[in-house]
Amino acid sequence: MRGKMSNQEPLLRVEHLCQYFKAGNFVTKAVDDVSFDIRKGEVFGLVGESGCGKTTTGRSIIKLYNITSGNIYFKGVRIAAGTQSYKDAIAAAKAEYAEKAKQPGADKAKLKSELNAVIREQNELIRSAKRDHKNCDRKLVTQIQMIFQDPIASLDPRMTVREIISEGLIIQGERDKKVIDEKVYEMLELVGLVREHASRYPHEFSGGQRQRIGVARSIIMNPDMIIADEPVSALDVSVQAQVINLLNDLREKFGLTILFIAHDLSVVKYFSDRIGVMYYGKMVELADSDELFAHPLHPYTRSLLSAIPLPDPIYEKSRKRIIYNPLAEHDYTTDKPVFREVRPGHFVQCNEAEYRKIQAELAKDA
Amino acid sequence: MEKKLQVRNLRISFHTTNGKVQAVRGIDFDLAKGETLAIVGESGSGKSVTSKAILGILAGNSIVESGEIIYDGKDLLKISEEDFHKIRGDKIAMIFQDPMSSLNPIVRIGRQLTEAMLLKGKARQRESRSNFNSYLKALNEAMAKSGKDPSDGERANVNCKKFDKFEFKHIELESAYNTAHEAAEEASDDISKIAFEMEKNAVGKDAADRINDIVRQSNASIHPYVVPESRKAEVKTLTGSLKRQFKKKDYGSALDSLRRIREILDEGREKPVPNFFRMGYYLCFSGQPLPDLPMEKLNDYLKEYLDKDFMLAFLEDAERAMRYSAGVRVENIRAAMEELTKSLEVYGRETLDRKECMDTLKQLGAAVGKTNDPLALVKDSLSNTFSSSLKGELDTYFHAIKNNGKILKKYEKEKRKYDAILAKGKKPGWELADAAVTDLEMIKGNIEHLIRRLLEHFQEILDAEKDRDYGSETVAAIDYLKENASGVVAKVTGEIAKHRAIKLMEEVGIAEPHKRYRQYPFEFSGGMRQRIVIAIALAADPDILICDEPTTALDVTIQSQILELINRLKEERKLSVIFITHDLGVVANMADRVAVMYAGKIVEYGTSEDIFYDSRHPYTWALLSSMPDLDTNEKLTAIPGTPPNMIYPPKGDAFAPRNRYAMQIDFERQPPMFRVSDTHYAATWLLHPDAPKVDPPKAITDRIARMNRRRQQAQEETC
Repeated sequence: MRGKMSNQEPLLRVEHLCQYFKAGNFVTKAVDDVSFDIRKGEVFGLVGESGCGKTTTGRSIIKLYNITSGNIYFKGVRIAAGTQSYKDAIAAAKAEYAEKAKQPGADKAKLKSELNAVIREQNELIRSAKRDHKNCDRKLVTQIQMIFQDPIASLDPRMTVREIISEGLIIQGERDKKVIDEKVYEMLELVGLVREHASRYPHEFSGGQRQRIGVARSIIMNPDMIIADEPVSALDVSVQAQVINLLNDLREKFGLTILFIAHDLSVVKYFSDRIGVMYYGKMVELADSDELFAHPLHPYTRSLLSAIPLPDPIYEKSRKRIIYNPLAEHDYTTDKPVFREVRPGHFVQCNEAEYRKIQAELAKDA
Repeated sequence: MEKKLQVRNLRISFHTTNGKVQAVRGIDFDLAKGETLAIVGESGSGKSVTSKAILGILAGNSIVESGEIIYDGKDLLKISEEDFHKIRGDKIAMIFQDPMSSLNPIVRIGRQLTEAMLLKGKARQRESRSNFNSYLKALNEAMAKSGKDPSDGERANVNCKKFDKFEFKHIELESAYNTAHEAAEEASDDISKIAFEMEKNAVGKDAADRINDIVRQSNASIHPYVVPESRKAEVKTLTGSLKRQFKKKDYGSALDSLRRIREILDEGREKPVPNFFRMGYYLCFSGQPLPDLPMEKLNDYLKEYLDKDFMLAFLEDAERAMRYSAGVRVENIRAAMEELTKSLEVYGRETLDRKECMDTLKQLGAAVGKTNDPLALVKDSLSNTFSSSLKGELDTYFHAIKNNGKILKKYEKEKRKYDAILAKGKKPGWELADAAVTDLEMIKGNIEHLIRRLLEHFQEILDAEKDRDYGSETVAAIDYLKENASGVVAKVTGEIAKHRAIKLMEEVGIAEPHKRYRQYPFEFSGGMRQRIVIAIALAADPDILICDEPTTALDVTIQSQILELINRLKEERKLSVIFITHDLGVVANMADRVAVMYAGKIVEYGTSEDIFYDSRHPYTWALLSSMPDLDTNEKLTAIPGTPPNMIYPPKGDAFAPRNRYAMQIDFERQPPMFRVSDTHYAATWLLHPDAPKVDPPKAITDRIARMNRRRQQAQEETC
């Protein structure tokens, strides 16, 4: 089922995405320098423990937050950009200037002009980033839609299903009632509900049906891409299967691209073509899903995979979880880690020494 | 195995505006000590209602129609709210599904953690005191009564007073030692942790707090049998210089000081432990200071002294008292059995007479009540719950006699209306619910069953009387007294509670507990919040832990950690766990036994191996095949449709409309529990000898084959 429809053309590109939150003097780096591509027609899984920035990444992509730094391109157009990296560059240049000007015999005028050139250049970048971020094409952004985690919290209890599903259409300027109704009925039938459900309220539905309403709301805009933020984790096992099957059908029908955020690794493995693993705001490993499960390279990924529970009591009772302790695993005092491609399509966050070690391991396997 | 909790024929409904929703429809299970029972099912299958009934926190519109939940000789469905306060949270604790809604958002974590400890601490002290006093009194009385001549009684009185006095001395000595020993242990642990961080040059933000803690703990470990007074000065100087060095960020010399402190502490920790029980007696009654001997010799010396002076005689008296008390009980049981046999006739009449029944109930209650042995440590649950159960049945009976007529009349009226609509050729917009008439014969059957069951139980006790080992029972009784005495002395102050809370937070895996202690719930992530909830549940040290989907909201690593945590605590504290979930992967990890619930009934029941490798009920099959594992590639088989509306429970098997394997009989009659093996039962007509043979779905057989292959491979590799 997997891997049929993806090709190499990137639909969404995330470059050095940073999303910081300030609380007083304390800055939380929710997402810190994350880059990845999502190709057209593929399902990209994003996994990691709670609080590691999966959801923030998803929300940054649909511009629910103003991102701190980095760029997001959708169909080659920059839809979101942050300015912090440019500001940091200016501050660094200023500090360098102050340092150099202190030295005896420094050519202050030349240094000053160099500094001004840097500042001008960065300011220009800031302006262009702000312009792109603010004036991005709304029609383009509506082609990315989101399915939220909790179907109870994400549906307004005072709106009928018709109002909920059609809200996006109305905001985009559709006024013809007949067209709206037809569209709503079509969507309801698509997700396995019936026309009569349109006039009911969310509380009259079961959990699985509510999540279907959420799906209907997201596909009515004819999106190219869906960000599914833990769409099944609040559902029962039997209903989970219904929703996953539904998403799979829709994906085949419309050639949807899906960013699938979840923490149930069995489901992610079943559903995704490629998987990115996040840890504390950083992407630590990215690979094809079979490759990732067969050859996990980053110690955090190994620890994550060792924690998956399986419906096999004898295996479960002997399963040993690998504990990941970043302090003991890595020595990043001298050489900072970067995101490197260790074999085609397989990226790992590592420093030079670890990179060589991984290469040696891979060579031995081969 | 000792049964901690027994649930019998539990039926619970809810009154709603639309009618009566039957949430739980007659379930039975036992929970043994130290065992995990997993209850699996979809939402709305009655899992949570069952657990809430055990805790006595059902919603206001609930009706418990029948059944009993027996814990520690009490029926939890019939005891008063006051009595429940002593059980809820203290003996039976619960971890809820949603950590956000089970924490108070405007109270700091620290206070929420310590609140229960402080409240329960006081209550426990009081309870331990009264337990100790009443048990010692009962023992004293039995000793006096069983004596052959008056001097025996005299001696018993003196000895019991003595025991009371020196027992408290013993606990005082021991708890002082424990505090110091624990402090040394913790300081040593903390030192190892912080030393590791210093070596790696990655000292955490709360290091200053922790250093202060280490200093405080090291000073608290000064005790004659841990770190002796003679080394006090050394510890003081070392900790002083440690503080200074840390402030200057001179980690090299700080490490050095830390290591030297740890050496002293470790030396103290490994010293032999004195026997404080004997020492307490010696200090109280010998009137001399302790002889200066090495620890092992001292222990022997004290043992000899205690045995000769007091213990042997006391044990002998106590054992005689136990025998005497058991003898009295046997007589009482015989009397009660006679009464019970007589009463069978009263309750067996065609129609019961209210006055006569109630009088007999009173007599029976008194006779059965007498059969309790005041010196028995484990209360007899059947005889204790007998009279309240009997009263419940009688009340239902007389209530039914009064009301059955009315209900029938109402039903007939509705039926006429319904038929009239049908006769007009229209389709009624409502359904006709069956008349809720109580079956009088069934209740009479229940009453007879209650009495006969108790009679059998008494007979069993009488038969087992010969093989009782009074020696070990006496020792257990003395241990019980010791335990309660330590409960009286164990005072929980704010300082201790805070210390324990921080330790608990560490135990459940929260980093920087000192800082976290002062934060509010919203500052925690989901996993961390759930850990706090677990810590709160464990704060009162319960017997039974009910986990209502504790990991549903968490990711795999945290889930795995929390499950390991619950498993570890279960081992350490001999907890019995009821684990409610819909995730079968989790069940495989946790459960010793599994009960699969659907529409308020248990449909399959067995050990986890039975359920995962040899499941028999189509619903279990559907659950197992609808979850993907790491090797699943084909389309998932979802269960079609939704669970039935429990206002109108289906006549036959509730799962039949969604069941691919349903037969005609499934729609007409409810299947009984068929026995597959001694541990494995399933309620499906497919197990009937006349049923056609059906194989489980391919997804499951494939998975089992895959699992077997993997296991074989693993075995070959290890060979």
